Amino acid sequence: MMKGYSKKILEEISTKFPEVSVKIHARRRTYIRVPKDRVYDFAKYLFEEKRFRLATATGIDTRDGMEILYHFSQDAAGTYYTIKTVIPKDDLKIKSLAPFLPAANWIEREMHELLGIDFVGHPNLKPLLTAETWPSCLHPLRRDYADEHKDIKVSKKP
Amino acid sequence: MANAKLWGLKKSPWVFHVAAASCNNCDIEILDILTPRWDVERFGIVLVGSPRHADALLVTGVLNRKSLPRVLRVYEQTPKPCLVIGVGSCTCHPHIFEPSYNVIGPYDKYIPVDVYIPGCPPKPEAIIMGVVKALKRL
Repeated sequence: MMKGYSKKILEEISTKFPEVSVKIHARRRTYIRVPKDRVYDFAKYLFEEKRFRLATATGIDTRDGMEILYHFSQDAAGTYYTIKTVIPKDDLKIKSLAPFLPAANWIEREMHELLGIDFVGHPNLKPLLTAETWPSCLHPLRRDYADEHKDIKVSKKP
Repeated sequence: MANAKLWGLKKSPWVFHVAAASCNNCDIEILDILTPRWDVERFGIVLVGSPRHADALLVTGVLNRKSLPRVLRVYEQTPKPCLVIGVGSCTCHPHIFEPSYNVIGPYDKYIPVDVYIPGCPPKPEAIIMGVVKALKRL
């Protein structure tokens, strides 16, 4: 099989989901900008119909809002299709992919605790990486986080 | 009894490996010294599966808020006298991780460390030398 993105898949995407915009970044990587409320359906389409694999997801605090990238891999072609979505900072909510996509479970928990994004419908949104005594209102990977941890006492008990 | 324990410790130190959030390179080097090439078992150094059987703890990684209670728990479970050997540069100082929200500073603020082995990761020879130096101090 040819390595790289397939025009057929991209055409199918733009006919099925006219609201998304596709940007070919490199031969083996495309970014697909999806509106926030369509991410769930679009990811479901990639996972269940196209059989793509969720490699990972990343969250970044940008000036325009919280940006989430879900990196889907088409292993046979060695190609990544990345869903890119921006959530406004005054309403940090998005529908969780974890109910149908177990690979998204932990990475969404991580984004929930480090960036403070609320994943609606997630089965288990407990903290994953931070200590048990860490206050849940503090999100250390946000831009406005400013060394608040210096005032938090170190606990010797979990 | 303390003397018998000390004799056992010097003759054949059983080590328990405490990976306190390291990047795994030090852990791989620790496994390296058990392979036939360095084969520390000929000196009686054995990696054991429980801190209750151990004479020495090999700690790796930068200490952080999540790993501190676990490290303390393991240290409490180890029969005393015991050696604590810090493997890798991360145990000496947090270095680039110091401004992180999760890092809480050096090990010897919380547990007594007998010897530090710098290196990122330290060579297997350096780890063996560190353990020998720690034993010589007893």
